[in-house]
Amino acid sequence: MEYDVVIGIEIHCELKTTTKMFSSAPCVFGAKANTCVNEVDLGHPGTMPCVNKEAVKKAIQICTALHLEIDPLVKFDRKNYYYSDLPKGFQITQQFHPIGKNGYIMINVDGEKKKIRINRIHMEEDTAKQFHLNDITLIDYNRAGTPLVEIVSEPDMQNGKEAAAYVEALRQTLYYLGVSDVKMEEGSMRCDVNVSLKPKGSDVYGTKNEIKNLNSIANVQKAIDYEVSRQKALLDKGEQIEQATRRYDEALKETVLMRKKEGNVDYKFFPEPNIFPIMLDSEWIKSIQAALPELPEVRKERYAKEYGLNDYDISVLIANKELADTYEKVMKTAKNAKMACNWMIGDVSAWINKNGGSFQNINCEYLGQLINMVDAKEISNSQAKDIVLPEVMNDQDPKAIVEAKGLKQVSDSSTILAIVKEVLAEQTQSVEDYKNGKDRALKFMVGQVMKKSKGQANPQMVNQLLLEELAKLINN
Amino acid sequence: MFKEYNLENVEAKVNEALKKAHKSHELYNDVVTFIDPRAQLANMPKTGKMLGVPIALKDNVCTKGIRTTACSNILNDYEPIYDATIVKKLAAAGAISICKTNMDELAMGGTNLTSNIGACLNPWDTSRMSGGSSGGSAVIVASGAVDFAIGSDTGDSVRKPASYCGVVGVKPTYGRISRYGIIPYSSSLDHVGYFTRTIEDAAVALEVLAGRDDLDMTSSDRPVEAYSQQLNSELKGKKIAVFKNVYDGLTNPDTKALFAKLIANLTAKGAIVEEVSFDEKLLKAILPAYYLIANCEATANHSNLDGIRFGVRKPGKDVEEIMINSRTAGFGSLIRKRFVIGSYGLFVENQEKLFRQAQRVRRLIVEEVKRCLDEYDCLLAPASNDIAPKLNDHGRDELSDEYLIIENHMIIGNFTGYPSMTVPMGMINGCPIGVNLTCKAFAEQTMFDIGAGIEEITGLKDLKKEAA
Repeated sequence: MEYDVVIGIEIHCELKTTTKMFSSAPCVFGAKANTCVNEVDLGHPGTMPCVNKEAVKKAIQICTALHLEIDPLVKFDRKNYYYSDLPKGFQITQQFHPIGKNGYIMINVDGEKKKIRINRIHMEEDTAKQFHLNDITLIDYNRAGTPLVEIVSEPDMQNGKEAAAYVEALRQTLYYLGVSDVKMEEGSMRCDVNVSLKPKGSDVYGTKNEIKNLNSIANVQKAIDYEVSRQKALLDKGEQIEQATRRYDEALKETVLMRKKEGNVDYKFFPEPNIFPIMLDSEWIKSIQAALPELPEVRKERYAKEYGLNDYDISVLIANKELADTYEKVMKTAKNAKMACNWMIGDVSAWINKNGGSFQNINCEYLGQLINMVDAKEISNSQAKDIVLPEVMNDQDPKAIVEAKGLKQVSDSSTILAIVKEVLAEQTQSVEDYKNGKDRALKFMVGQVMKKSKGQANPQMVNQLLLEELAKLINN
Repeated sequence: MFKEYNLENVEAKVNEALKKAHKSHELYNDVVTFIDPRAQLANMPKTGKMLGVPIALKDNVCTKGIRTTACSNILNDYEPIYDATIVKKLAAAGAISICKTNMDELAMGGTNLTSNIGACLNPWDTSRMSGGSSGGSAVIVASGAVDFAIGSDTGDSVRKPASYCGVVGVKPTYGRISRYGIIPYSSSLDHVGYFTRTIEDAAVALEVLAGRDDLDMTSSDRPVEAYSQQLNSELKGKKIAVFKNVYDGLTNPDTKALFAKLIANLTAKGAIVEEVSFDEKLLKAILPAYYLIANCEATANHSNLDGIRFGVRKPGKDVEEIMINSRTAGFGSLIRKRFVIGSYGLFVENQEKLFRQAQRVRRLIVEEVKRCLDEYDCLLAPASNDIAPKLNDHGRDELSDEYLIIENHMIIGNFTGYPSMTVPMGMINGCPIGVNLTCKAFAEQTMFDIGAGIEEITGLKDLKKEAA
């Protein structure tokens, strides 16, 4: 039987603020357990929440970037449940009046653009982190009270690839806004996926399963693809889908049942009495919106226009904001945009991956100069890559390096021609092989010329002159 | 009176207060924990509006490193890690906290009979109750041990015991005093209040306590007035509305006579006194609406008391069982009942017709009272039908008109958030009874002015019942 797949995604994203959502305790990832807490985060008696203005600002930025209508009247509600990671016994959230409603984000799958609608975005606070050991449970309250936004999509995705593209597009947008670290592996971005199947063309939604705790975008796609096939197999056998919460097991590459849903939990939501509704100043909202950082979509268009790069190159650059930022700085010096892009995506990225540096520390002027030297054929590509780049990455002037190591590329044709003739005279067997159609012989002879020139000969000229000379030999 | 204290006599006065407090503790069970004052004395400021004044704090006021139980078993060993904002303000004004006082468990009650350390007795007649929930604070001020004590008022928990104990009980406007660090009952109804024996001290105290606190978003940034300097007991021209439904419903002839005499005196002093009636149906709805709102908010407010991070923890095989066992053992039966009612009122299938409906009823009552106070400076009524009930008085019909209206009308002050105060009105059979006045939002000055006028009429300024 043919099915329509319906996928909706809820994303929890930690906001990068100095202090917590409702307290003045610091927000620091990876700090020693229970050192970033105060009486509010621990839910001590008598404590009261105080709304973090910076968090509201970041929520407004997100709503704006994702085209949501902003509700200027900020209200909070209590979500009541007992759990040991929830200090107050309730979470302060925005159940009834989310800060943003009805937005969207554009995704790109296999060159096709698609609009994914966003139902709502609301602000809330994070819970503590628990570590269940054999006999005991350890609780770290550092995370308790960290500002979160929850971004709830409409069920507009139909396969794992679209879902992954949606999460990636959101991740990029939030990263470019500077509002969050969006690290799925560290939990600063968490993804819950709802998957259901219905007979093709049907108006009635099937029973959904929620997949929790997906720690990478790749796993979002894998988990969904697995879940879709699992549900399809059950439906094909005529079985019912049970509503349940599942998790993705990386080792098994399967979604595993966590718990069955037995009716909906009543969280007894009611308005938080300790926070009066706050009317946001429309001028403040406007000033935040006016100063919104450049978003990935806008940057993509700019790169096409400014640098003439192709879609693939642009998407690789944009996917890593540090890489893209560095590329822009390099382009202040570099003249060949495509060549600079290749260098950034290729050798520079590889060097950073291998040596563990960071894009921010690169001397972009030096790197630009290096690329220009290659572009002007002053040095060879291999010299640039193997000898000069490592030095440039250590903040060394490429001109000085080329000078000191005598790397100036020889582009004088008479000098190269002399070596070429020398090699042809010596390598008679290779010449013979070439005549017999063995192309490898040409490569060998190029290598010999390069060797004799101590690597300084311009390889393209070597190639060209060799071909010319060989042609003469053959024609004679 | 605060004026009697200074830097020179502070140590002697604090020691004297402690001695008296130990005595009243022995007689009335009004103290939960005594505080060693030495650190405070060593660090006290050189000036301040309450310099050297020994004071008491209700045991739901968080005091850093000093046991704070709210008279509940679950908090029996609780030592807060921070000071309530008012504790800091009082210390900065030079006041010296000497003890934490008895109260109804988690401030949920009007009798002080539900405390985990037992009832607090009325100093005027120890067979009678102090009233609650701030019973210990009312008693310790009435006994003369201290001139000031902090209470909290969610229904009438300062103003009712003030009436029963013959002291001044003040509940300022919602937001006038920060609630940060007060163990809550019901956030939308909770107010910090306090007890004194004179209106003048009450006016000074509000200057110390009031003001914006960034830790309490519901606190008002309205400037604090110089209440004590501006205090004016002139009653001429003051427009006073007599709460007719309450007056008509009084069944105790002595109370009725005292109140009638007060009205006559107010009129004689030039006040314009008129009777005002409210819709009886609304008045009868006050208590049920109050119970729902208070218990619904309370059940959420006290969900933090789970034995996990603080308080008394009972063993269990996992965290869930620890929470269940701690809460089961930690709360009195009345509290558990209230949590059940509160939870029930919040269930999604009930919330609209119970909790939300109660909030709408509250709004109607607020509008009705506001209309009245648009015309008058204050709304006046006896705080109770009678003097403090006997400790074993369980014979009250809680659905009678008398109980529903006369014993609960002061909840209006919590519904509206308007400033409300009880001042001694007179004595019946050797026991005091108070009169309550409620004014417009932030009209504390008017409230103190009229209160001072009443104080002059009754002559019950600095009324106290010192132990023999």
